[in-house]
Amino acid sequence: MYVSKTVLALFHDRDDESLCSPLMSGLPDIVRVCVTHDVAATFENMKRVGIDPCLAIVSSRLYPAARPNLVAALRESFPAIDVVLISSAADPLPSLQPLAADRVRHLAINPASPWEQEGNETRHQFLTAINNLMKREPWNMADYLSPGTAVHEYSVSSSTQKEELIASVEAIIAGDTGEIDLLRQRGGLLADELLENAIYNAPQLEDGSKIYRKGEERRIAPREGITFRFAFDGDMLAMEVTDHWGSLSPDMVLEYLVRNQEGGDSLDDTGGRGLFIIWRILDHFHVSITPGQQTVVGGHLKVSSPMDLETPRGFHISTHA
Amino acid sequence: METAFSIVPRNVGSFDYFALHGNIDAQAEKLLKELPHKVQRPVVKFDFSKAGRINSMGIALLLRCLKSIKEEKKAEIRIIQPSPMNTMLFKMTGLFLLADLEH
Repeated sequence: MYVSKTVLALFHDRDDESLCSPLMSGLPDIVRVCVTHDVAATFENMKRVGIDPCLAIVSSRLYPAARPNLVAALRESFPAIDVVLISSAADPLPSLQPLAADRVRHLAINPASPWEQEGNETRHQFLTAINNLMKREPWNMADYLSPGTAVHEYSVSSSTQKEELIASVEAIIAGDTGEIDLLRQRGGLLADELLENAIYNAPQLEDGSKIYRKGEERRIAPREGITFRFAFDGDMLAMEVTDHWGSLSPDMVLEYLVRNQEGGDSLDDTGGRGLFIIWRILDHFHVSITPGQQTVVGGHLKVSSPMDLETPRGFHISTHA
Repeated sequence: METAFSIVPRNVGSFDYFALHGNIDAQAEKLLKELPHKVQRPVVKFDFSKAGRINSMGIALLLRCLKSIKEEKKAEIRIIQPSPMNTMLFKMTGLFLLADLEH
């Protein structure tokens, strides 16, 4: 159920607003501003008239390139505000470095032509993510699948289950077209990375050092709570892995994406390359962290999603108390 | 497609040739560490046509192996027939900075 709170939407100009507006048409309490003047004064004026937004949706045509201090000014006026950057699929992906510095942990991709075939689906996904953010709830893969789609769930008790679980993902992606075969390969790699992340990266000592070495065979205690879930509705593949270590931090996830996006030259496996690959393959990457208690890493991917380096990919990295 | 990793060398005269079979992940570490020592010629070709899934650990091992060949053997490295999936992965992770794709 939607919880009514004010959302502030900030655009570069009227064209930018009209491109983004269809995506936001389901949000009832929204204040739209084309930023043309001193942003700090604009925000202070809003406060004066009693507007206190809990969430800001900021166009990437405005931030970070055109108004690099925008998010800092937003947080100065509204300290508790969450920020979602919205970028058009037709625009180049914004640099992630300023986002990491400003702790902007949500990037949504607006399809280039929102009223075309995929517009409604994208809007539904966007509004679902926004509602989850406002309600401080983690993502739910069922929200992104056709109603009634079976979700397969496995508890992982040994590292030796990995190949069997990957084969289970590949098996539910039925069909022999080139597109389906490519999705099967992407699904297999996603499952591999998600499982390795939970089995070998999540278990850490207090100083952050890893307890297990990748590739070593190990038993997984029930208290680690490693659970693998996946589903395919014929068009959308969704999967997630939960662990009860809660050792990943939101800043670290963004740092990993930045480091690898900028062509980090790390020759080992400690630089978050696995999470970067997961993000670049999925249409949308979700990380929900309850520090010290639980991490859920996953996302969704459409059959028709192009496999290239140019298509922008979104993410939501959220923390929960 | 076989999943266990193996390296199949072939004697072709003017260059070193290694076909990589199966999935490339942490299990490939030992063989990929040994591979640079087997390079003897100034050109090395890696055939990926029989390679399966390559995960981030496999990418890390490949990067280390290729870097070692480039720096210690001063050899030129060429990649043959990677799948579209693995081609994208190589582009994404900078592997083509160490090796050229042979068309």
